[in-house]
Amino acid sequence: GASAPVLTACVAGRGDGGPSASRVFVVRKDQDIYIHTLRKLFNESHGIFIGLQRSEEELAGKSRKAHLVQVSKNYRSVIRACMEDMHQAAISARDPALQNQYSTQVSILSAMELIWNLCEILFVEAAAAGPLLLRLLDWVRLHVCDVDNMVREVLSSEDPSKHELFWNVVDVFVLQGRMDEARHLLSKEASANPTSVNMYRILDDLMKKMPVPSLNATQTLTEMELKWQHWHEECQRYLQDGTFASNSHMESICKILLGDEDAILEKKELMTTWYHFLVTRLLYSHPTVKPMELRFYAQACMDLFLGVECSPEPLDTILMAAFEFEIHQVIKECSIALSNWWFVAHLTDLLDHCKLLQSHNLYFGSNMREFLLLEYASGLFSHHSLWQLGVDYFDHCPEYGRVYLELHIERIPLNTEQKALKVLRICEQRQMHEQVRSICKIMAMKALRNNRLGSALSWSIRAKDAAFATLISDRFLKDYCERGSFSDLDLIDNLGPSMLLSDRLTFLGKYREFHRLYGEKRFSEAARLLLMLMTAHIAPCSFWMTLLTDALPLLEQKEVIFSAEQTYELMRCLEDLTAGKSDKQKFQDDNVETMKVEMLRLALARNLARVIVKEGTLEGS
Amino acid sequence: HDAQMDYYGTRLATCSSDRSVKIFDVRNGGQILIADLRGHEGPVWQVAWAHPMYGNILASCSYDRKVIVWKEENGTWEKTYEYTGHDSSVNSVCWAPHDYGLILACGSSDGAISLLSYTGDGQWEVKKISNAHTIGCNAVSWAPAVVPGSLIEQPSGQKPNYIKRFASGGCDNLVKIWKEEDGQWKEEQKLEAHSDWVRDVAWAPSIGLPTSTIASCSQDGRVFIWTCDDASGNSWSPKLLHKFNDVVWHVSWSITANILAVSGGDNKVTLWKESVDGLWACISDVNKGQGGVSAVAEGQQNEQ
Repeated sequence: GASAPVLTACVAGRGDGGPSASRVFVVRKDQDIYIHTLRKLFNESHGIFIGLQRSEEELAGKSRKAHLVQVSKNYRSVIRACMEDMHQAAISARDPALQNQYSTQVSILSAMELIWNLCEILFVEAAAAGPLLLRLLDWVRLHVCDVDNMVREVLSSEDPSKHELFWNVVDVFVLQGRMDEARHLLSKEASANPTSVNMYRILDDLMKKMPVPSLNATQTLTEMELKWQHWHEECQRYLQDGTFASNSHMESICKILLGDEDAILEKKELMTTWYHFLVTRLLYSHPTVKPMELRFYAQACMDLFLGVECSPEPLDTILMAAFEFEIHQVIKECSIALSNWWFVAHLTDLLDHCKLLQSHNLYFGSNMREFLLLEYASGLFSHHSLWQLGVDYFDHCPEYGRVYLELHIERIPLNTEQKALKVLRICEQRQMHEQVRSICKIMAMKALRNNRLGSALSWSIRAKDAAFATLISDRFLKDYCERGSFSDLDLIDNLGPSMLLSDRLTFLGKYREFHRLYGEKRFSEAARLLLMLMTAHIAPCSFWMTLLTDALPLLEQKEVIFSAEQTYELMRCLEDLTAGKSDKQKFQDDNVETMKVEMLRLALARNLARVIVKEGTLEGS
Repeated sequence: HDAQMDYYGTRLATCSSDRSVKIFDVRNGGQILIADLRGHEGPVWQVAWAHPMYGNILASCSYDRKVIVWKEENGTWEKTYEYTGHDSSVNSVCWAPHDYGLILACGSSDGAISLLSYTGDGQWEVKKISNAHTIGCNAVSWAPAVVPGSLIEQPSGQKPNYIKRFASGGCDNLVKIWKEEDGQWKEEQKLEAHSDWVRDVAWAPSIGLPTSTIASCSQDGRVFIWTCDDASGNSWSPKLLHKFNDVVWHVSWSITANILAVSGGDNKVTLWKESVDGLWACISDVNKGQGGVSAVAEGQQNEQ
């Protein structure tokens, strides 16, 4: 079975009791997304898909149908382009295994295009009797290419009519309804063999006059049928009169024109497939075949062509289901036969737009179109870059697309910051707040593990994670205490309102501001800020000593900076700090600590003395 | 004995009877050994990765009655916590959904289930459910942090009130569902269908549909799918997935709970999917290697 989406299962070999032979196997389905040449297929079809979803609303009626046919053709041209690339790759590959792989892909793509083309004729365009046959003829001519080499060989030879395969090529043209080309070749034969000129003229005339359905409405179906009857009878007369008796080739052509089953079947090798046989038969016996009648002819032709020994291949089953207009069957068979969801997902989506799928309520309430798109898109998410296409597909699955996206998008490995930002943008656009928060937290944690504090901080701000922001701010402050300087100054300087996320973060921001003010020699502002950090309890108690120590240079300035009131405040802070210490702690304080406290007390006292004098002095005196 | 992919499918943790826990880098289809963690004194039964937002954290449990939590710091893996509160082999570990914090459930052969919650600053709080299963508990699996039915009814936008639940399987042939009420864990449901030891339970991820689903597998060779259609979690009905010829060791769900992987003593890994008419169909099987297949982990491989 090939309908599993991408998954990876790891299997550990197990020993029974004794030392286990642990072997780990990675089992993986759906390797197709990893084939480089298919990448274009996925990318371009994605564009067509999105275009189809968006253009849906505006059109109606005939123009709508024409638009859908165009979309179908676009898909097919993408398949053909991919086939070309794959074919080139197969030719230029030097490794036979690789060559084999490419060749296999080419035939798979070819089969896909064959099926899609038929579905386009029968379902999207829904060709009516008349044009139906013409479309089917085009279809056969496009896809049965086995004889092309032979045709080329004969046409390019010096004297085609002498070529041993000459009549084969004429037959090919007749079988494919390519009358003009057949007549052209025959004329060469006629000029070479003057004895058969009469026979030739009659045959040529019959071929020229053969009525064909018209694409435009220049004649009704009934008119055409009438003309055809007359023509058929004329051919019959000539055959029965023995006109072509002396040239078996021409006689056989006349029989084919008359739709003689045996005569046509004799040319089995030139038709190569049962569906070619079908179309040829229809051309020469029921050119005005109606769509709903196809199934009978199709089954009969397949049976006749394959005979008893041959059983139908998957491709045959799929085409037969199409001729029977069993759309769901076509989708089901394709799902089984093909190794990834690409084909069925896009085809079903198109058919859904043609309003051809019944709303087939599957167990979980979703419909077939959505089910297939979900499977396809889920598969894309295993790929390191194609996952981005998957996002758009999920967007167009109204029932479960969003939740599937939520589940998948969190699993994308965020190896680089750019990738993380890309994923975040997608989540933010869709208001997936949970995912945004989760991703930011993961990135913050990653940055912290790699000691990139600035990055960690900005991620936790983005995640609005107060707890983490506090943790990181503490790290910054710790670093400052150890090294005496801040890292990531830019970030801290420009925190703005996000500073308020956590108390510690606010302190960090403000503390840095204090340093800046000091650096710009705006001492009174710096002083005020410093004091406020302690009195408003923005600073954690553990940091007060550092802050007071920072106050020292301000106290030692020539100019008095702290006012009396401020100095009293500072003193109180110092007392609070030292009083808070237990006796045991005081005992443990080393000389540096005690000296610091002494210096502070001295500096504060001196400042107080100076400021009292200053404030007591009248201006100007 | 176990192999688990990390969240992103880039790393694989394995553990075995040689008492080690090994971590491999498996990007690009390679298998590069990153770390070989030693600390257990007996066969290591299971490993479990925590959510990446807590960092690179891995839990392992072993026959030596210990649960070890390992953490990667500055590129090296170290033991960050060791729990020795069980009286016999610890058989299963499972991290809770990240929305609940960093919580680890451990099931042991002493019949108890412990819940280890990280409270910060290297501290862990322990809650124990004694006698959860008579004879022993073999498997634990958390319910997803999704309010059933949230897909259909539009969420109010506020943080929903999650009720923490997990399922356990034991040697008493039962699957039990546990619910947290007022900070205490209570047994909410007893699911009876197996005729031998339950080896593994797996609570399926949810996309918000009102149905909750649990898979259980047993020594009796059967795999059951339990479903509950109402949000209050009252009526669970079992459906037999398949009866295998040998003991079934493990069951594991894919991310969107579409596919169930089953591994058993008959050397096979089979994948199962629910069809349109509610029946479960086997969509493929993998038959590799000799010896029983003991652990299956579903994930997504997200690298080239």
